[in-house]
Amino acid sequence: MSYENYLGDEPLIVTAAVTGGVHGKEANPNVPETPEEIGRAAAAVEEAGAAVIHLHARKSNGERTFSTDRFQEIDDAVREHTDDIIIQHSTGGTGASDEDRHLPLRTDPPPEMASLDMGPLNRYDHLTSENTRGLVNSLYDEMQERGIKPELEVFNDGHRNEVFGLLSRRDLDEPVYATLIFGPGTLTRPTPQNFLNAIEDLPDCALFNTLGFGRHQLPFAAMGIVFGGHIRVGLEDNVYYRRGELAESNAQLVRRSVRLADELEREVASPAQAREILGL
Amino acid sequence: MILVPIYQLMVCPYLEYAGATDETDRTAFDEPRAFCTVIDEFVQPMRADICNDRYELSHEYHCEIYREHTDGKDEHAAEKSE
Ligand code: SF4
Repeated sequence: MSYENYLGDEPLIVTAAVTGGVHGKEANPNVPETPEEIGRAAAAVEEAGAAVIHLHARKSNGERTFSTDRFQEIDDAVREHTDDIIIQHSTGGTGASDEDRHLPLRTDPPPEMASLDMGPLNRYDHLTSENTRGLVNSLYDEMQERGIKPELEVFNDGHRNEVFGLLSRRDLDEPVYATLIFGPGTLTRPTPQNFLNAIEDLPDCALFNTLGFGRHQLPFAAMGIVFGGHIRVGLEDNVYYRRGELAESNAQLVRRSVRLADELEREVASPAQAREILGL
Repeated sequence: MILVPIYQLMVCPYLEYAGATDETDRTAFDEPRAFCTVIDEFVQPMRADICNDRYELSHEYHCEIYREHTDGKDEHAAEKSE
């Protein structure tokens, strides 16, 4: 993937990460948490141009859960409210057991896609999300069994090595889909130079998705659009619309990225086009 | 004798679940939410797992707010961290 892909008119896949598992309504009251709220958010982001929705599950008080039943309720609500959007479950979960991390893969039907974190990242001051290779392998194997496309989450430069490692351990279907994540802490430092280096350093079989945290969401989306990648936006990664102003909704963030793509003359992929690009 | 559910013995002593009936402005949520009385703020859902010692997380080990607040005052925490 490169500037050539931009010139080559490949449609842009927009993923909406609508809720996440870290912050909730205490950060922005517009973060959807219940299945009904997530279902309505899904309808709005699909209408705005998102082809993929990235989902975490919450209990009714907003706290995290990994239960298959709760993911099922959320999927049912999303399917009820949307036409064709691609469902992608998170398998991330700091502190949760390896067994819990598999639970989001076990809905009926399974999600078309699921995230696969490529390695450790620090949380707060005394906590680490481990994401061992053993867990990566076992999550990947269950995804393979259930026909789920992995979205490889690359939180930093070292995790790109882990992508190559996974490719050597397992026979991944092409195209491999890697989300490059930029921001503070354990993430790749959010500079244009690092972005260019990251996309250059991916395996040839990989498409990339661009994710900037917080205030980096907008400029990194712009870079993802221009350099022929795909983009992820939403309240999971960024609760603000602009400095000091909370976003009104996930759809507001998706609409802005679609306007940006339009100005940069990149067609936005429908869910059907996204399935074709991703080989779902 | 009053029986206390075991989970109530494990959670951080500074955790409250606060909702619309509380005195302060805690009216934004349908259900009570995890509230830290040390910083006087609602905490993130992921932090609430630490407050509740879920998933083998421990407020004594994993919460910098608890650690800074107790700062050696809590002998139990000091013993366990050695
Ligand atoms: S944030 Fe830390 S100190 Fe506050 S209630 Fe939770 S664990 Fe306790």
